[in-house]
Amino acid sequence: MMDKKTFFIAGILVAIAIAAMAPFLASSNPDGLESAFFGMYGAKEIHGAELDEDVAVVAEEAVVEKTGNTFTFEALMPDYTVPGLDKEGEILAIVLGTILVLFIGLGFSRILAKSK
Amino acid sequence: MHIPDAFLPISHGIIYWLVALVFIALSLRWARSELDEDRVPLVAVLAAGIFAIQAMNIPIPWGTSGHMVGGALAAIVLGSPYAAVFILTIVLLVQGFLFADGGITAMGANIVNMGVIGGFVGYYSYKGVRGAIGRPVPAYFIAGWISLFAGAIVCALEMAAAGTFPLELGLVSMGTYHAVIGLIEGAITTVAIALITMVRPDIVSEKRGVAA
Repeated sequence: MMDKKTFFIAGILVAIAIAAMAPFLASSNPDGLESAFFGMYGAKEIHGAELDEDVAVVAEEAVVEKTGNTFTFEALMPDYTVPGLDKEGEILAIVLGTILVLFIGLGFSRILAKSK
Repeated sequence: MHIPDAFLPISHGIIYWLVALVFIALSLRWARSELDEDRVPLVAVLAAGIFAIQAMNIPIPWGTSGHMVGGALAAIVLGSPYAAVFILTIVLLVQGFLFADGGITAMGANIVNMGVIGGFVGYYSYKGVRGAIGRPVPAYFIAGWISLFAGAIVCALEMAAAGTFPLELGLVSMGTYHAVIGLIEGAITTVAIALITMVRPDIVSEKRGVAA
């Protein structure tokens, strides 16, 4: 059986390896929710593979009109990209995110575990 | 399955945030009473791994893609649906604020769909299926599939309530895509738990994990 420290380090390495590979393996197709949205707003057939980019832009404006939610937020690395960097920016973004989640997870759970 | 801000009126977003906050509070109570120093690294590694795997969108038919969510995985490994709420909340906070993956006003809904629904449906379907068939492996897969599918159905209902999607077409299209994406969830949940069990059989134990 793997000891605790080895397990922890192996886990971190696996997570970072997945993060570093993600930009090369990940599909840029719309996800299930986006695909359903484009299907219903005429930018795509539900069972079709083609996305009409122009109609997609119109759809995104139409939905804001419908919900009235114009809230916007300037994220530091939008869509896992680093402004000015290409593929290496995506790797950097996802690896940084993974490490940040690791430390937030460690911090919060350590504090809570101690506060008995 | 990450809902962007534009898909939900702010008033709906607030309601889902309030529901999410109740479950976040309960998950903090779970962490205080159930987490010890021993399991802190496991929680952190699961959170990091789930964040990384969520960035890996796998293509499915119909020009679409989907990724693992990890609610069932977190709940089964740590033996509580609140573990999924705790971990998915951290993941969604970082995704939303740093990467604009999922909205801010819509983040409560995303925590409900992926953390709460994913965790509770994943955990209890695992216990149910495991109890019925007596073996863990098919139960991991089925729990992963159902947890993802249930989250997508709830998401379609939220979209219908918001007026963003028509109810029937929303359920059919979300259901169709996520029935396939659920296979990814089931497969990765099974492989991840099998790997963890292989190197550390004590972690996903009957005593500490799930008393099935």
